[in-house]
Amino acid sequence: MSEVVLSVQDVSIVYRVSRGQVKASQHISFDLHKGESLALIGESGSGKTTVSLSFIDMLPSAAKITGGKVLYTRDGKTENIFEFSEARMRDFRWHDCAMVFQGAQNAFNPVLKIKEQFLDTARAHGWRDKGKVIKRTLELLRLVRLDPERTLESFPHELSGGMKQRTLLALGVLLDPQVVILDEPTTALDILTQRAIIEVLKEMQSRLGFSIIFISHDLALAAEMADRVATMYAGEMVELGSTQHIFYEPLHPYSLGLLQSVPRLSQDKDELSSIKGNPPDLIDPPSGCKFHPRCPFAQELCNQEEPVFKEHEPGHFAACHFTENVIEARANLWKKD
Amino acid sequence: MRTFWPLLWQNKVGLIGFIGLVFYLLLITVFQWMVGFDNEVKLDQINSPPGSRLVLLTRPEDKDSYTKLQDLVGHKVGILEKSGAPTFLEKSNVEGLEVETYRWRSGRGVPESLEALAAGEVDALIIFSKLVRRYVLDPSSRDYKVSLSHLTVSNPKLGPALLLGADTQGRDMFTHVINGGRILIITAIMAGLISTAIAFILGTVAALAGGIVDRILVAIANFIIVIPRFPLLIVLAAMITLNNWLLLATLIGLLAWPALMRAIRAQVLSLRERDYVEAAMALDLSRMHIIFREILPNMMGFVVINFVVAITTAMYDQIGLIFLGMAPINDYTWGVMLYFGRSRGTLFNIDSAAMLLAPVLAIAFFQVCLVLFSRALEEAFDPRLRGAA
Amino acid sequence: MIQSLSGPVDTRPWWQKLVQNYTLRTFVQSLFTVWAVITFVFFLIRLMPGNPVEIYVNYLMNTENLTYQDAYNRAASQFKFDPDASVVQQYFVYLGQLLRGDMGESITSTGTKVSSQILRYLPWTVFCVGSALLISFLLGMLLGMLAAYFRNTWVDNVISFLASIVSAVPDYIWAILILIIFGVQLKWFNVGDMRGTYDPATPPGFNLPFILSALQHAILPITTYVLGSIGRWVLAMRGSTTSTLGEDYVNIARARGLKQNRIMTAYVGRNAALPLFTLLAISIGFVLGGSVIVEEAFVYKGLGSFLFWSISQRDYTSMQGVLLIITIAVVFSNMLADLLYSRLDPRVRVTGDK
Repeated sequence: MSEVVLSVQDVSIVYRVSRGQVKASQHISFDLHKGESLALIGESGSGKTTVSLSFIDMLPSAAKITGGKVLYTRDGKTENIFEFSEARMRDFRWHDCAMVFQGAQNAFNPVLKIKEQFLDTARAHGWRDKGKVIKRTLELLRLVRLDPERTLESFPHELSGGMKQRTLLALGVLLDPQVVILDEPTTALDILTQRAIIEVLKEMQSRLGFSIIFISHDLALAAEMADRVATMYAGEMVELGSTQHIFYEPLHPYSLGLLQSVPRLSQDKDELSSIKGNPPDLIDPPSGCKFHPRCPFAQELCNQEEPVFKEHEPGHFAACHFTENVIEARANLWKKD
Repeated sequence: MRTFWPLLWQNKVGLIGFIGLVFYLLLITVFQWMVGFDNEVKLDQINSPPGSRLVLLTRPEDKDSYTKLQDLVGHKVGILEKSGAPTFLEKSNVEGLEVETYRWRSGRGVPESLEALAAGEVDALIIFSKLVRRYVLDPSSRDYKVSLSHLTVSNPKLGPALLLGADTQGRDMFTHVINGGRILIITAIMAGLISTAIAFILGTVAALAGGIVDRILVAIANFIIVIPRFPLLIVLAAMITLNNWLLLATLIGLLAWPALMRAIRAQVLSLRERDYVEAAMALDLSRMHIIFREILPNMMGFVVINFVVAITTAMYDQIGLIFLGMAPINDYTWGVMLYFGRSRGTLFNIDSAAMLLAPVLAIAFFQVCLVLFSRALEEAFDPRLRGAA
Repeated sequence: MIQSLSGPVDTRPWWQKLVQNYTLRTFVQSLFTVWAVITFVFFLIRLMPGNPVEIYVNYLMNTENLTYQDAYNRAASQFKFDPDASVVQQYFVYLGQLLRGDMGESITSTGTKVSSQILRYLPWTVFCVGSALLISFLLGMLLGMLAAYFRNTWVDNVISFLASIVSAVPDYIWAILILIIFGVQLKWFNVGDMRGTYDPATPPGFNLPFILSALQHAILPITTYVLGSIGRWVLAMRGSTTSTLGEDYVNIARARGLKQNRIMTAYVGRNAALPLFTLLAISIGFVLGGSVIVEEAFVYKGLGSFLFWSISQRDYTSMQGVLLIITIAVVFSNMLADLLYSRLDPRVRVTGDK
């Protein structure tokens, strides 16, 4: 595989609340390679966004990173993001790692023209040549299939939701970042716009060669976007593998459960099943495997011992004691199709 | 409202405001009844500093024998006319005193009575402490007489103390401060009620009726809002004789509603979009039903907060009017105390600070309590604001 | 698939552009308001129960032993109306006179034009009230932002508490307190020297001693106005900054690596300040209104104390003129604030109807 851009190693983050500590993400490790798209999927509150926010030091003040490191490599030089000075972090944001948040509706300052906001971003990172910035902006806006000149002179309220989202994507890659984090980039958009955005994204990625971390709870979008997928549950990464691995050969019962909860054309309505139970309390999580209270395959061992996140086949990691039971169950699932 | 008390208890600043308002409520009811209103003009007490009182003055040899009024039964006591002493004697009701009254006569009465005491014509003198200080103890005073310096105060606490001293007419300031708030507060509440009621009715009608009615009402509100309220108020006050507080309250209330009316209209417009109001309208329930059953309960908090704010506005307006002498000054209020402070030059007299500070603080603290309380109410009614100071 | 943009292309015909032009519309609205105020004040003075014309006629009859007709004619000349005309005719004549800048003559000081009196006093009040509004607006925004930044810390608690207290106490109470405490008790300044608008020993002109003297005399009223109005700005700005700080675009600006200064000014400050412009109208009227008492307390010879003087002298023409000028000042400063607001917020510029 190509070189690793971002290497996340054993990152743990807690939120301090009056009741104690919310273990929002625990021992997260993964590598992000150059030019790949990695999707993080899982229920809300599973820690997807928390982990990504820690990369650009944008965690809320109640959050605390309790361990681990994130190694970032650019031009052969590797640094730990968590040890960045404030000034270095400011420059790292957007220039190296851009994060496009969910709900672009309100992503732009309503009183500044789009042009100003592009120039602002460039200026903050030392791009002084105004003409060059405008030229690149026009190119990028064309790439996201907007009318470049007109968009540039618009105020945010003059753009529709889909247009704003595209503009934000163009802004995201303005400084040629190595990593683009997309946090639910298409929620709140209609289905046609969603599709258009995904197409634009793929095209941009192939042209500009950045890596994507794609955060979503929309499995269909993730399957379409991503080269690799990681499943997160209760602040932990429970499975990581290629898109093929996760969507057709899942090894973790939670991934399997997610798949079963997505309607398929060929499926009867009553076969659609949601995962029983509720996400666990992250202040006082269950012992052993955190998924065991909701797991259909759970046995006594699951309650006592936390499963190790290990490689079961090349490039396919999972944290489960009884992957063979999951393999059996998924075989049955496909058979019915 | 169920959650109101615990919230108020947590909100210390709001609690201060609430306790303050309770204090003012007591002031205009219980305290006022307890203290009473002393409007008697006493020439010996003009501009006297806080803590002054009547004392008993004797010759040095009688220092220990005459300390109470009872000690003087069968003896001669001197008092000054038009001073606090005659009333005091009357009230203390001691039988068998021989009383000699000295005429005030443009201040000459004081040295005369002192000389009479020194010469043995009377055995003791009931006199005001400020005069003792000026005539007997203070050699720098122009009224000081050396020959009298040997007279002795045998009882320095004969009468009750004037806690805040007396004003330029020798009237007890303390009773005035205690009694001077009632009319003001009642007028302000009345004016607040009037303006809030107008604002609520017009705002609701404008929002529910819409169309031309809405446009006209909003235009009127926008028009009144640009005319500075206070100048208009004093111009009106110059033409209408404001001889009673109800008229004053009505006038203030009639000018203060537009800002609130616009806010209420906006609130009703957004409430109208809510499902339960739409349902009520779809069911063709009467306007009255919709206003008083569906909308008012949901805006109660907002209306109450703005009622409290309207009281502060009304206080501002009426005290301003009184301070300029454009409103009734026959009731002795804090405003009238300020008016006298300005018109009689006490503002610039270094000894009369208490005379002005007392009403100033009474007014300021009342306004502060109202504002703090209204902010606490805002937090109680709007959960989003909780946790903020 | 290039999406078409609907916003910036303007396809309206020219007359529609003219009618919908924000600046023009605001200006026409302001003119209309001014006309309404003129009408209102005119009929107020003519039709009130204590009709000043009648009062003045009675006064002339009593003091100068004139017949009713003579006194009425004299009143007519001073109030500038044709005694034989109906009230409505008088109204139109009055409008015509106003258009020529003629507000009639002062009743009490015969021969003095009301307009020249107003011109004499107006600049001082504009100077004091204007600079006070500017100071309290800017300082209030700064403190409000500070409180919002440190919300729920001691900084915020202190600022908010003080702002509540300061906003609660009427401005004239501040004036009295300043006089008593700093002037009379502590003797930081000589109350007598601070009276008037400038030291009579320094002739008016564009020179340093005169400007210093004018500033010295204005400092007390300005301080009072600032105290009387700043609390509202602080509390309003605190609220609006708090909600702006939670906006997505502020977070994203941070994620974009913008410098803190830029975020504070162009992203938070500018957006948080917008709602405050709608409060300006009320604040201008409030401070101008308060100037009647405050100028009276400091014996500052501005428009406020002139209004009070004309009221106590029952000088109705002057009274009418001052009330008019004060209102016009509020209407037009309001218009300026509106236009400024529309420059700062592009969203109101397009249609202005939202």
